[in-house]
Amino acid sequence: MVSVINTVDTSHEDMIHDAQMDYYGTRLATCSSDRSVKIFDVRNGGQILIADLRGHEGPVWQVAWAHPMYGNILASCSYDRKVIIWKEENGSWEKTHEHSGHDSSVNSVCWAPHDYGLILACGSSDGAISLLTYTGEGQWEVKKINNAHTIGCNAVSWAPAVVPGSLIDQPSGQKPSYIKKFASGGCDNLIKLWKEDEDGQWKEDQKLEAHSDWVRDVAWAPSIGLPTSTIASCSQDGRVFIWTCEDLSGNTWSPKLLHKFSDVVWHVSWSITANILAVSGGDNKVTLWKESLDGQWVCISDVNKGQGSVSASAAESQQNEQ
Amino acid sequence: MKLKEVDRTAMQAWSPAQNHPIYLATGTSAQQLDATFSTSASLEVFELDLSDPSLDMKSCATFSSSQRYHKLIWGPHKVDSKGDVSGVLIAGGENGNIILYDPSKIIAGDKEVVIAQNDKHTGPVRALDVNMFQTNLVASGANESEIYIWDLNNFATPMTPGAKTQPPEDTSCIAWNRQVQHILASASPSGRATVWDLRKNEPIIKVSDHSNRMHCSGLAWHPDVATQMVLASEDDRLPVIQMWDLRFATSPLRVLENHARGILAIAWSMADPELLLSCGKDAKILCSNPNTGEVLYELPTNTQWCFDIQWCPRNPAVLSAASFDGRISVYSVMGGSTDGLRQKQVDKLSSSFGNLDPFGTGQPLPPLQIPQQTGQHAVVLPLKKPPKWVRRPVGASFSFGGKLVTFEGVKVPTPQGAEQQQQHHVFISQVVTEKEFLRRSDQLQQVVQSQGFVSYCQEKSDASQTEFEKNVWSFLKVNFEDDSRGKYLELLGYRKEDLGKKVALALNKVDGSNVALKDFDQVTQSDGEESPAAEEQLLGERIKEEKQESDFLPSAGGTFNISVSGDIDGLITQALLTGNFESAVDLCLHDNRMADAIILAIAGGQELLARTQKKYFAKSQSKITRLITAVVMKNWKEIVVSCDLKNWREALAAVLTYAKPDEFPSLCDLLGARLESEGDSILQTQACLCYICAGNVEKLVACWMKAQDGSSPLSLQDLIEKVVILRKAVQLTQTTDTNTVGVLLAEKMSQYANLLAAQGSIAAALAFLPDNTNQPNIVQLRDRLCRAQGEPIPGQQTPKIPYERQQLSKGRPGPVAGHLQMPRAPTQQYYAHVENPPPPGFIMHGNVNPNAAAQLPPSPGHMHSQVPPYPQPQPYQPAQQYSFGTGGPAMYRPPQPSAPPAASAYPNTPYVSSTASYSGHAPLYTAQHPTSSPTSSPVAAFPPPSSSGASFQHGGPGAPPSSSAYALPPGTTGSQNGWNDPPALNRVPKKKKMPENFMPPVPITSPIMNPLGDPQSQMLQPQPPVPGPLSNQASYPQPHLLGSQPLHGLQQPLSQAGVPTAFPKPNIEGAPGAPIGNTMQHVQSLPTEKITKKPIPDEHLILKTTFEDLIQRCLSSATDPQTKRKLDDASKRLEFLYDKLREQTLSPTIISGLHNIARSIETRNYSEGLTIHTHIVSTSNFSETSAFMPVLKVVLTQANKLGV
Repeated sequence: MVSVINTVDTSHEDMIHDAQMDYYGTRLATCSSDRSVKIFDVRNGGQILIADLRGHEGPVWQVAWAHPMYGNILASCSYDRKVIIWKEENGSWEKTHEHSGHDSSVNSVCWAPHDYGLILACGSSDGAISLLTYTGEGQWEVKKINNAHTIGCNAVSWAPAVVPGSLIDQPSGQKPSYIKKFASGGCDNLIKLWKEDEDGQWKEDQKLEAHSDWVRDVAWAPSIGLPTSTIASCSQDGRVFIWTCEDLSGNTWSPKLLHKFSDVVWHVSWSITANILAVSGGDNKVTLWKESLDGQWVCISDVNKGQGSVSASAAESQQNEQ
Repeated sequence: MKLKEVDRTAMQAWSPAQNHPIYLATGTSAQQLDATFSTSASLEVFELDLSDPSLDMKSCATFSSSQRYHKLIWGPHKVDSKGDVSGVLIAGGENGNIILYDPSKIIAGDKEVVIAQNDKHTGPVRALDVNMFQTNLVASGANESEIYIWDLNNFATPMTPGAKTQPPEDTSCIAWNRQVQHILASASPSGRATVWDLRKNEPIIKVSDHSNRMHCSGLAWHPDVATQMVLASEDDRLPVIQMWDLRFATSPLRVLENHARGILAIAWSMADPELLLSCGKDAKILCSNPNTGEVLYELPTNTQWCFDIQWCPRNPAVLSAASFDGRISVYSVMGGSTDGLRQKQVDKLSSSFGNLDPFGTGQPLPPLQIPQQTGQHAVVLPLKKPPKWVRRPVGASFSFGGKLVTFEGVKVPTPQGAEQQQQHHVFISQVVTEKEFLRRSDQLQQVVQSQGFVSYCQEKSDASQTEFEKNVWSFLKVNFEDDSRGKYLELLGYRKEDLGKKVALALNKVDGSNVALKDFDQVTQSDGEESPAAEEQLLGERIKEEKQESDFLPSAGGTFNISVSGDIDGLITQALLTGNFESAVDLCLHDNRMADAIILAIAGGQELLARTQKKYFAKSQSKITRLITAVVMKNWKEIVVSCDLKNWREALAAVLTYAKPDEFPSLCDLLGARLESEGDSILQTQACLCYICAGNVEKLVACWMKAQDGSSPLSLQDLIEKVVILRKAVQLTQTTDTNTVGVLLAEKMSQYANLLAAQGSIAAALAFLPDNTNQPNIVQLRDRLCRAQGEPIPGQQTPKIPYERQQLSKGRPGPVAGHLQMPRAPTQQYYAHVENPPPPGFIMHGNVNPNAAAQLPPSPGHMHSQVPPYPQPQPYQPAQQYSFGTGGPAMYRPPQPSAPPAASAYPNTPYVSSTASYSGHAPLYTAQHPTSSPTSSPVAAFPPPSSSGASFQHGGPGAPPSSSAYALPPGTTGSQNGWNDPPALNRVPKKKKMPENFMPPVPITSPIMNPLGDPQSQMLQPQPPVPGPLSNQASYPQPHLLGSQPLHGLQQPLSQAGVPTAFPKPNIEGAPGAPIGNTMQHVQSLPTEKITKKPIPDEHLILKTTFEDLIQRCLSSATDPQTKRKLDDASKRLEFLYDKLREQTLSPTIISGLHNIARSIETRNYSEGLTIHTHIVSTSNFSETSAFMPVLKVVLTQANKLGV
């Protein structure tokens, strides 16, 4: 069942482009073509406007909450080519940093797994991806990947923090050495995987080709302890692919078509347990998908205005095979 | 921003939107010449490869054409579903011809690329358009008001939309309506536009502003609004774009006056109706919103005019513009920077500006309001207004707790595209997909609350679909019942009552047991006096008993004959009468009177007993010997470690029966680990049962995970049900702290809680999350759940944030301010109070205690041994106790003093025989036998000689604590090896101890596990395993222990591991050991003083040296342990011979024969030696030689075989 538990009237004056809950699921951040970012306290079905953040000079495309260990921090990106990092200080929200390193619309922001520190990846229509790393005392270090996607990067999504070869014993006394990776999708119809090398430089690791039109979104699935890595991607071509990589080196990715929609697919989002994928399309359709036992992806729900039923076929048929 | 460029003076056409990849076709433009004045023409296809950052476009194919083109379009006619290159390229030629090309053939390099052509038009074809709804319909316009409608399926005969407009004029533009398929518009340089209705076959409206200055160079229908269209004017005096609405066709709806000079071409974006491109003689390329007139974008162009401009149908941000300077440029309207990569092209571009003068006027066209390029750092801004295609209208994102946040774009209700004031809602929904999972989880929670475990397990067991599942639940259930071990045994197929019956059936003298019992008491009482007389009495009685067989005399004081005849009995008698226990024992052994031998050995002292036991076991090759050995030695670990895995049930049964409570779990673990690591897939799953018995939740989880795929919520539910129940059971049965949660379990539990949370059951998730753990993932999840709940639950404290806050831009300096390593710093802080969560199967060596390595006992191959060395309490103990995945035997070793230090302490005797440690404890299993209180009358525990050899098992220092033989004297005078244990006792595997009367159902057949090649360790085997430090050590004569203990401790530190140092639970089973220990000291003191060996006579000493030398030679060349063992045994048994030599009891013939053998050995003529041997045996009294001659034969045979 998909049932509405809270309908938040955002009072945005134009299209909403993103709505994200914080880590705990108690606060909602929205952003809109009206150039504003709003934060609501939605605990217990309420909707209290906490902040109406003004600062962008164009439509705001995405918002992203940082992990709470760094405080209450929200990043937003806009068509105005800027990324703004907002922070709650003594109960009031303020701009704490503004990144103006892009020459075109910044379409996507995504915080790295908290284990890496406070790192924000930003994908822009100028084709570049920038990585902002907080270095303390209000300073942010910027690394930029130019020409990541010709005529534009539409989405960035971090790989979950997994220690390479986590089943293997680590040398004692060492901190786990994470390999930082993220995926990006762009107007060159490509999904690219980026990896930070030993020198801290970002290098293109993989190029995943299957889409025949702009890649609108990529979503790296949360780690659920399995060695498999999974990425969902959706495109202007109406296709949603599920990419999986089983080998430890992370070099062999194989796509599986989840579905071909009749319209552009804008957004894909994994559930926290990585077993359900929410797909939002240009026909205003939100659908939920789940992988059945035989590996096929099955639509289990059509969500309309937050309401929907869940078909039992895929969800409930997984009887213990024991 | 410029993406690509091609140096061509050409008309251009993008491949249709359906096509992938994107191609751009160019056809040499008519009416233009380049500097070469070449009139050759070609049709080319380029691929738009955006992954290539260079400005070059890859030319796919070139087709040399006979003519040049006024117009080129690419229609999607017959595009296949795959979207491969297809469609039709339609070209308008100079001579009134229309040519259809097959672009796929052009790309393929085919010569025949023309599909069809028709020259019906009289003049140059300047206007072409494909109907979007019926892609086979193409409209064309030419001179003299000619308009034709072509059906590509029937190309020969075009239609006309109606009568020609008058006066005749050029048709410069033609366009199909974007909404209504039968509406067509045409426009001419005269400024008039005509709208045709093909159904009526006539013009329906004419649009003109009557200014006579509108020289129509462009015509485009509104992509969304059927009645609107724009007209562009080429006239410099009226460089405008008029927007018309046919509903108000008297005057333009809007006039866009953004160009300074005449407009040469326009293009309306299909992707965003607010984007209209126009290029003019002012050398500008503008993008305007025709609905508002606002200029949204001005492309950075050079000073040249563009005469053709096209949106890329597939990639909405891309457009191409053909300029008079002989170049086609591809731009993006999304802005961006021209970085260094393109500098070369920029330079090239700049240099080409000045030279070219397309019109030969001698003057470059004046640059009008063109922003100067500011070198290589030029930044091109995107459209002022974000195009529609980047404005995400809809979204659905998951968040914690199974919540889905959705928003939907509201369909624009008015055709004007004007956004109305709307409610912009965001929906927060709860997604529940796993109803069954939630139901079962709920049920489990209720069970935990109501404590109705037994019925729950029963239900689960009843509902189980597989035998294994059933077993697991039955085992779990037993945990909550009384006498769990007994019930376990029943589940394994060993039912006490059944066994009792079987035993009763098997014994032919059931009645005798009572008598024996009586006798036992009497005898032990008299034995308590410890007088030689009493001893002799015992012996005598036994002898008599043997002689008279069933003629049993219950009275201890009865008379008996002492036979001193020459047969074996006589010899034994003689030996006994002379106090030569060793000989007597040897005789008995030789005569296969095992019971006698053992009984005598008991009298002969501990050492002799040990040797005798060893010999017995060596000799007795029956299948259950190993089991008996284990029972006697209390060496359950041996059984568990070396039993055939097919017999895991039996091994588990044995452990269940005998093992002390504190070593029980580790033994179960051990067995489980073996099943897991060595067994096949079926056995691996059975390991779960062992872990359930052990109460080892962590290992159960590991084992279960191996067997199950475990990824689906329901299979996780399956596991969690068992784990939760087992944990409850362990909590009930063990008072110790069971709250510590292992890594694996923590992982599974948090996974489970995560699943629950993902279904919105946050409260349930909190309930199942284990308490009292520092596992970071659990602590974090708890924090997350608590906060997600919104408000703190009464009585449930919201935990502190498990993260050390990272301050952002506050006064406090960052952890590693300004350093590149910064990303690491927060990680450390984050886990400041807890170690990083080890992933499953990950052992954190040394991390916690770097000194651990130094403390490791010398036990290579046992990777787990780092656990015990931690002497201090370990907060992360659970994380380190277990190891999985290496495939080795994952031994569980309870924390205890490490072996090596203990061993070194032995000489100081802080440790005493463990048997003593059981004394004084209350009965556990056999409380119904009051006579078994050992401390009150230690002597009473000593088995009477009349009880036949059977009871020796319990008399040894290694008697298992659970052995109950002392509690009730074993049966009767029954058969030699028969066992008459009281049926009431919890002695399930007893039947295995009857090698001759009973065959065990499934024999344990694994090979001997002890390194028997080492005589010393063999000797030591019977010694009690790790002795614990005891207070009553003083009562023990130390020398008896010292002789062997240090060696034992050093050689087998690991085998002691399973034996705990303390014995917390009262246990009657262990009690009898102690008094025996005492008793034996007394009994033994007599013979040890008496027996002093005489020297071997000098003349016979050569026999000993020869034989021993031979054995040594054999030993040094023998390779297999079996042979070595035989030889060792032989070496010992030859003692009998040497004894006889000392006693000088051998007949001269035998002596001389032996000397002959010795000589043949000297000459290495073993076959001769064997012949002599045969001769001796055949001619001498068997009883005289039987103790050593067979051994000698063995040695000779081996020597012969080995050729030493």
